[in-house]
Amino acid sequence: MMDAGRHPRIELLTLSEVVDVQGYVGNFQVRVRRQPRYVIEDLCTGCGLCVEACVWKNRVPSKFEAGMGMRNAAYIPFAQAVPLKAVIDPQSCLWLVKGKCGKKCQQACERGAIDFEMREEFLDLKVGTVILATGYDLTDDPSLERYGYGVYDNVIDGLQFERLCSAAGPTGGQILTKDGRVPEAIAFLHCIASRDDEAHEYCSRICCMYATKQAHLAQEKTGGRVYQFYIDMRTAGKGYEEFYKRVQKEGVDYIRGKVAEIEQEDGRLLVRAEDTLLGRMVEVPVDMVVLCTAARPAKGSKELAQLFNISVDKDGFFAEAHPKLAPVSTHTGGIFLAGCCQSPKDIPDTVAQASAAAARALVLLSQGTVEIEPTTAWVIEERCSGCGECTLACPYSAIELVEGKARVNEALCKGCGTCAAACLAKAIVAQHFTDEELVAEVLAIMRRELEYA
Amino acid sequence: MSNPKIGVYICHCGVNIAGTVDVQAVARQAATLPGVVVARDYKYTCSDPGQEMIRQDIAALGLDRVVVAACSPRMHEPTFRRTLEAAGLNPYFLEMANIREQCSWVHPKEPETTRKAQELVAAAVQRVALHQPLHPRGVPIEPAALVVGGGIAGIQAALDIADAGYQVYLVEREPTIGGKMAQLDKTFPTLDCST
Repeated sequence: MMDAGRHPRIELLTLSEVVDVQGYVGNFQVRVRRQPRYVIEDLCTGCGLCVEACVWKNRVPSKFEAGMGMRNAAYIPFAQAVPLKAVIDPQSCLWLVKGKCGKKCQQACERGAIDFEMREEFLDLKVGTVILATGYDLTDDPSLERYGYGVYDNVIDGLQFERLCSAAGPTGGQILTKDGRVPEAIAFLHCIASRDDEAHEYCSRICCMYATKQAHLAQEKTGGRVYQFYIDMRTAGKGYEEFYKRVQKEGVDYIRGKVAEIEQEDGRLLVRAEDTLLGRMVEVPVDMVVLCTAARPAKGSKELAQLFNISVDKDGFFAEAHPKLAPVSTHTGGIFLAGCCQSPKDIPDTVAQASAAAARALVLLSQGTVEIEPTTAWVIEERCSGCGECTLACPYSAIELVEGKARVNEALCKGCGTCAAACLAKAIVAQHFTDEELVAEVLAIMRRELEYA
Repeated sequence: MSNPKIGVYICHCGVNIAGTVDVQAVARQAATLPGVVVARDYKYTCSDPGQEMIRQDIAALGLDRVVVAACSPRMHEPTFRRTLEAAGLNPYFLEMANIREQCSWVHPKEPETTRKAQELVAAAVQRVALHQPLHPRGVPIEPAALVVGGGIAGIQAALDIADAGYQVYLVEREPTIGGKMAQLDKTFPTLDCST
């Protein structure tokens, strides 16, 4: 993170989103919208005085803490944030929302870094290649309610448990129930909304292992009982099976069975499931339940796919060009994929795929030029009346009228032939797919059909 | 093209095509088509010896057009274009007849499969004679990369590209990079820190 923050050739654009993409492999024009931070990055030292001064204290659920902790309206996302700069949340800052606040943060800042006049800005970037690495979100599907998620205080998801374990988290690394008790027993429920025909058919792939790691931490930190309710343990990865065995030996209870329901009784949570190995129902009272919820494409993935003209698979993850031979490429030249935006994967695989995507991008960049397929549309100028039908028909915006004649941008043209079919004057030829060639093909087939008849 | 000299190559693709198509019959039929100088069938045309066979025919028989009846052009059109180029022909003097995905894999049995393969080959032969030489054009590449998403994947990709000497724009919608990984405490299976 630090390395990326201070690399002389990496320009970090935080609070930013891509809003428009034009161009083609080697020559993309990308428009980025940058939301105001209300803090001048060059002046801010990340000292935190504005955060302390903010009057809207601990009123906003922290996204970084996965909702387990609260933050102020002026905040630094976490201690190692890159860039380590304060940010003022326009959704909760009293001055920005209501125009009523003594602006204590501005008074506290010794460097005059806080600027409430900041507005969103647009940046136009020219790049040769793009890597999409937009990650995943954990599902918050309403169906999770049947496991008590969002209903009972101590039913949380894996990322929330992660924050409880963290020394920098809201509890200082202590695993505590909502009312501040050390849990005597914790149950981890695998495959929540994954491997489930009614939610997501696919395996989220990271849960078996992170739940096992969390079980280890839970036992170490609480000394209590830890149960793992699993369907199948999937520990394929270097050192994974060994780690699973180690945690089993540490006394974590692995129960093969999917939990049917969770009920709150006398302040405890009753977990009911069928132990499919023993063939009997089990009922376990615990103080905390951790749901290993499905990883799904990050919010906004679909819109981003449309912007970059790439496809998504049936689950909404970005589609690779070939599942085996082109796992980091897309069908759009110059656009590559890394990490969980392509499918759920663990950290080693993510890092490997990211380096693979970088290598693919570097192949392009180091070539310096890119070959454009010559099977493009071609305009017979003498026949073109400049009616503009082709410019409307072209799905790739590759044709424009120049001095009353259609002109094809060969780099944008995919040779689909829509313009040639649309042109009333037959003034456009789809090279390599001319009418003569296609008619010759059809006649050859028809002639043989006649022979058979 | 008034007098084309066309070579036609029918690929077995192991048993993928030859299992349901009478490839010899397709080759025999192709040999009778106008302009066809040579028609052969071969076990794996995309293999080195398969491509070498085409190159030798181009040299020995003076072929100026080539039809390969095999898999989808999405698979091996680039391969055979390179074969033609290596033999000194314009790579766009190639036509592929897809007798695998569009024939042997989707129709159950003879004689329909062989008949359809013959029709596809006849069509390709007619068409290849009309092909014009085409030349790919080089377009300069902007020496910079955009990485969308500043989690562990985006950070790693950005670092690799920047280390190689190119400008990188790393776009992140949150106020900080780090993504989900920064939220993790320890990571499996080695229990090391994530930040």
